[in-house]
Amino acid sequence: MLNYNRALSDEKSYQDLQIREVQPTIKLIIRGKKREFFSAVGKSLNMLLPTKPNTSSQGEDLTALWLSPDEWMVYSNKTVRNDTNEYEIEKLLYKNISKLNLGAITDVTDQFILVNLKGDKVYDLFESGCPFNFNEFRNKRGSVTQTILAKIDVIIHNQNESDINLFVRRSFAQHLFSWINDSASRL
Amino acid sequence: MKKKLRVKRSKYIDETYKISFKFNGKLYYGFKGDTLASALLANDIHLVGRSFKYHRPRGIMTAGSEEPNAIVQIHNNSPWTEPNVRATEVEIYEGLEASSQNCWPSVNFDIGGINNFLSPLLPAGFYYKTFMWPASFWEKYEYFIRKSAGLGKSPTKPDPDVYEHRYIHCDVLVIGAGISGIISAKTAAKNGFKTLLVDEKPYLGGSTIYQNSEYYKINNQNSGSWLEKEINEIKKIENLEIKTRTSVAAYHGYNYLLARENLTDHLPIERRKNKTRHKLLKIRAKKVVTATGSIERPLIFDNNDRPGILLSSAIKKYADFFGVACGEKNILFTNNDSAYETAISLIQKGINVEAIVDNREKVDSKLIYEVEKNNIKIFKGHTIINTYGYKRINKISIMQLSKDGQNVIGSKINLSCDCLGISGGWTPAVHLFTQSGGKLKFRDEDQVFIPNIYPSDQISVGACNGDFTLNSILSNVPKSLKDFLDIKNNVYESFEVLSSYNNSKRNIWLLPSDKILGKTKSFVDYQNDATAKDIKLALREGFKSIEHVKRYTTTGMGTDQGKLGNMHALGIISETSEAKMGELGTTTFRPPYTPLTFGTIVGRNVGEYFDVYRKTPIHEWHIKNNAKFENVGQWKRAWYYPRDNEDMFQAVQRESKAARESAGILDASTLGKIDIQGTDASEFLNRVYTNAWSKLQIGRCRYGLMLNEDGMVYDDGVTTRLGENHYLMTTTTGGAANVLGKLEDYLQTEWPELDVYLTSVTDHFATISVCGPNSKKIISEIFPSLDLSDKNFPHMSFKKTKIGKIHCRIMRISFTGEQSYEINVQANFGKSVWEKCMEVGKNYNITPYGTETMHLLRAEKGFIIVGQDTDATMTPIDLQMDWIVSKKKYDFIGKRSLYRSDTIREDRKQLVGLLTDNPNEILEEGAQIVADINKSPIEMLGHVTSSYFSPNLKKSIALGVVKGGKNMLGQKLIIPMENKKINVTVTDPVFLDKENKRLNA
Repeated sequence: MLNYNRALSDEKSYQDLQIREVQPTIKLIIRGKKREFFSAVGKSLNMLLPTKPNTSSQGEDLTALWLSPDEWMVYSNKTVRNDTNEYEIEKLLYKNISKLNLGAITDVTDQFILVNLKGDKVYDLFESGCPFNFNEFRNKRGSVTQTILAKIDVIIHNQNESDINLFVRRSFAQHLFSWINDSASRL
Repeated sequence: MKKKLRVKRSKYIDETYKISFKFNGKLYYGFKGDTLASALLANDIHLVGRSFKYHRPRGIMTAGSEEPNAIVQIHNNSPWTEPNVRATEVEIYEGLEASSQNCWPSVNFDIGGINNFLSPLLPAGFYYKTFMWPASFWEKYEYFIRKSAGLGKSPTKPDPDVYEHRYIHCDVLVIGAGISGIISAKTAAKNGFKTLLVDEKPYLGGSTIYQNSEYYKINNQNSGSWLEKEINEIKKIENLEIKTRTSVAAYHGYNYLLARENLTDHLPIERRKNKTRHKLLKIRAKKVVTATGSIERPLIFDNNDRPGILLSSAIKKYADFFGVACGEKNILFTNNDSAYETAISLIQKGINVEAIVDNREKVDSKLIYEVEKNNIKIFKGHTIINTYGYKRINKISIMQLSKDGQNVIGSKINLSCDCLGISGGWTPAVHLFTQSGGKLKFRDEDQVFIPNIYPSDQISVGACNGDFTLNSILSNVPKSLKDFLDIKNNVYESFEVLSSYNNSKRNIWLLPSDKILGKTKSFVDYQNDATAKDIKLALREGFKSIEHVKRYTTTGMGTDQGKLGNMHALGIISETSEAKMGELGTTTFRPPYTPLTFGTIVGRNVGEYFDVYRKTPIHEWHIKNNAKFENVGQWKRAWYYPRDNEDMFQAVQRESKAARESAGILDASTLGKIDIQGTDASEFLNRVYTNAWSKLQIGRCRYGLMLNEDGMVYDDGVTTRLGENHYLMTTTTGGAANVLGKLEDYLQTEWPELDVYLTSVTDHFATISVCGPNSKKIISEIFPSLDLSDKNFPHMSFKKTKIGKIHCRIMRISFTGEQSYEINVQANFGKSVWEKCMEVGKNYNITPYGTETMHLLRAEKGFIIVGQDTDATMTPIDLQMDWIVSKKKYDFIGKRSLYRSDTIREDRKQLVGLLTDNPNEILEEGAQIVADINKSPIEMLGHVTSSYFSPNLKKSIALGVVKGGKNMLGQKLIIPMENKKINVTVTDPVFLDKENKRLNA
């Protein structure tokens, strides 16, 4: 049996800001542009992919983030088992999309680390290292942005006002986590 | 006897809170709310520094950021030290230590003061003129000139403070919280705009807040009280953020501004711990309202720089705001009504005003009448011609001005004093407006430059727009804002304003004296000691442009950037050369408005956060096992794993021997990995790589070279066909992001018809490469059900398999020339798989090796590293890799460039192997290669790109690029080093196992 090694070892809590890695969650990049692609994904996931830039849609089990006109990230709302990397949803999409040459399904479960940030200080933290304008973003539930935080590429998803999911590439995660903790300690 | 200079309680000074501080080693007291300048003045200290060139004694001159003289070093010889700090801006705190600059041994007795007496020998351009000849002596001069240059001392210890950046996006930014700024902020915020109001001072309200005079009223209240109510009101507005101690440093294009928020400089050092000292605010504003006010002008006359000479407005502020009298015998000298405001303030507080010298003749002004009522002597139509007193002014001489203002007439009158306030009218602070690209116009009536053409969505209001009186501010500011913000609802109804200021002004840029100009010292730039005489000299010597005069005389080049005197320099040039001020223009206003510390600019990008680093999923294991790390791109890669006391050479020899003799293991997770899917994936690869891909079978791998459009090698790597329409491409570690960007760019712009999708999976997989003759045994123990026979799993093929329930991929590919397997597994299981390999490999002496050994192993095999053996000038043909370039394919990126006349030249630099005559001699990478050592100039044929001692071949090996090297096999060449010549022989770049026996074993 193999051991599962998460990227971030601890959780941190500050006044008005809690930071934790949510793992394991399934993450898939799905790409396509044909009309049949959209309906096949819709049927498979039981939800529609968002087509408006920088938005998301959420179903019972999954959330889909708009990344580009033909690219989405789908992630599981709940954590999954960590002793297997066989996912039903991937298999289903493979069957309904890849096999029919409608688009591409790629497992990126460990490509990204999902960090959940909660609390009133979330945007103060972002303002200390991110040039993105969060004025509209913070008031629009479901907003998505791909930007940089402390010079590192991140995807930020507004789940609910001060409940934020942040995706960062695994190799950058420890550096970003260290920066976040450094910055949060002075908020 | 101690003077009583703290005259009256001020609500801005907390007299119950006494603060001790040191100046030049001596202990003094001040109160909470004091600046260093106000506290020194309350202690009757005017002399605080020496000027740059003549070392003349200088005192506090202003009460703000325009201060040219009172610049001090704080906390000398400590990590907190900072030079050139304006005493007028330092808020005192318990334990503050400040000292004078540019003087030795002390500010009271300064050896450099001798320069003052040598001044006739030190005209403008003295250094340029004197140290020109003989040219070869410059290096000797330079040593002495450098010693006398510079003001304060830079810190030598690491900065103990923390600095940060903050990004702010607002609808409206208001710069300056004087009366115009407060009105603007309230108007914007009340109309729903997300508004940010910043001011460099620790309090709001500018100079109106301490205006407590019966002569300035708004709606029947004193203007100061009215403004205080406004301020209390705006503090409650939710969508208005207010920042004090925040100075806008730069105003760039498209309303991008940088401001420094000062958070701890006013606190005692022990209370600064764990706090951010400065924040650099990076502000993007949709609209900007500049309300930066104006700066009072000095007057230019002989010896106008003595300690005790202040701007008249500064004397007013010290009295009104800080409750400090700058002197007991005050005289004011003016060309406008402002000095009378000061006089009235002083009278109110019982501070003695001896006289007022006004260069205007007869003016009908309520302020003047009020001063006259108090029996203060007013010398109308007079000018000061000289002042006396070395370390503090004690006397002035005045004379009557001629009608045209160019001469003095009548007899000299001497007046004694201990403080002189001067007022030459007001200069709008247009610095930020101009930085943003705004164009100024000159208003002749009162000789000021005011904003004319706005380059972005911004507006200047109040005094910085030339509205100096309460009247004009209150009638113009709300009106301009209404248009600018396009608002329907007025926040303000009309005002009832009492403003007693008479606008008349008699502007004389250089006041006449009874002496000839050459005998006077009328300072224009106080900090750099540039006088009116110097400016005229520059004009006589042929400098016409204001920019040239500035550099020749150094006018405006001090830390204050000429905030006081630049206008006079212009005026004098204009008068002398008879050019119009408007046509002359101004010198360029450059950021920052006031100096920034390096810490502020750098922010948190120091130490660990200087650059981003990436870690592989196996990183922790490397650390535990004593790996040394190497930076590769942003990755931290294991470099070598020294055992006991091994150095790098010894460790690499051991690691590489183990890999060839039994088994080695490498963390290759950093290689870029791109998942390629789509019905046109094969065609896509045909276009991006030089070789053909259509016939690659599913389950097989192939090496590819990617070229740039110019035909030069760009990247390389092995791509595996996972399915009919599915490939996994690997790229170099450093090239991964660029390759993905380039390929995505081609798909979106050049080949939109291709059905291909790319997704980066670099971080998704950990890649573990096990190599060596025993690698197969190790892999078979980990994957017992996998058929590893060469028939089923030959070199350059891949298998999908599982460890337990975890899916993974194994590629049989090799970068070392040994039989080798790369396990690709989901990153979170990577460390566990690695540990399993180590455990199973124990019996085979499996040895972890780092990038250095990897480089050696591949060099033995003659495999290139893109970026080490290539440098964007190497084609595949230059690399002797003709075999990989398809002649049949219609096109691929860079194909056309391979057939240009230059790329087909036979004598291009080509990759070859190099063997030293002495097998133990290791070449230096980068060393030059020559054929004929006696030729002059010596002809460089190329250079060494990779060089190692190979323990497996027991000799030194190297790769290099040599002009025409392809046809030089066996030829002797020379590598000239600093103290020896090394003889080498050109060989084939493959040193080991040319027949690939090891790979297929």
